[in-house]
Amino acid sequence: MLENSIFAILSLFLVLGSLGMISFKHTIFSAFSFLLAMLALAGLFALLENSFLFLAQIMVSVGAVVVLGLMVVISLGSIEKNIPDEPYKFYWIGISTILVIPLALLIYKALTSLHAHFQETKEGYGELKYVGEKLFAEWVLPFEAVSVLLLSAMVGAIVIARKEEYFKKENYFDDHKQPEDTK
Amino acid sequence: MIPEQFFILATLLFSIGLVGVVSRRNLFIVYLSIELMLSSVNLLLVTFSRLDQSMNGTVMALLLIAIIAAEAAIFLAVIIQLYRSKRSLDSDKFSQLTQNKGQL
Repeated sequence: MLENSIFAILSLFLVLGSLGMISFKHTIFSAFSFLLAMLALAGLFALLENSFLFLAQIMVSVGAVVVLGLMVVISLGSIEKNIPDEPYKFYWIGISTILVIPLALLIYKALTSLHAHFQETKEGYGELKYVGEKLFAEWVLPFEAVSVLLLSAMVGAIVIARKEEYFKKENYFDDHKQPEDTK
Repeated sequence: MIPEQFFILATLLFSIGLVGVVSRRNLFIVYLSIELMLSSVNLLLVTFSRLDQSMNGTVMALLLIAIIAAEAAIFLAVIIQLYRSKRSLDSDKFSQLTQNKGQL
């Protein structure tokens, strides 16, 4: 009974946060709604007895992704003239909701055809020790692949977001010009 | 607590994310909606991990969190680059690759 009420509260926050995210006009309110949704999702991971993923979700999704996003919002999206004017926003949201409903029903039908039930968890389920054992015994190759992916994403983000003019050869030499000789 | 509750929640989150991607023009909200869709898959993976009583789903969800972080870095860099080119966050203004030169 307690689990059900916790689930109700967390899912309420999750759905309200995500609905607020797609309906606010100002980007900063959307980002804070997304923060609320991610915190509620971390709570759901805890409810599913995955204590390690609860921590990982808070550290990565809330601590890194949303904060990085908020930095970009504060630098670009908080100025009124940068926000696109969307007078027919709720009209488009309504139309796309009608279009998405059949897909959602299909996904739900496919998932419920499993007829699965929760059982009592085994001893030590979800603890960091067992996650680590699994990660470094059976999942080593995906783990290393993810590390390469993160490295390449870091380099790619720097290359995409830099100012191109500065790295062109002539501009580089303009900035580092030697003092001209007097003729 | 039954698994169907979590299935409904994951489906709802995925649908809300899809609606956000389709209907909004603000680039940043499109990005947050994609994040929401990835997170709904993450919730589903954790639910399956709990049903299966093995750690495989947990490890997969952990790797997916790393992929979400990589996607966030790339997407935010792309948003900054797009903003720099047109001074706008409106996705309708970035239509150089369409044939009709920005006129819908």
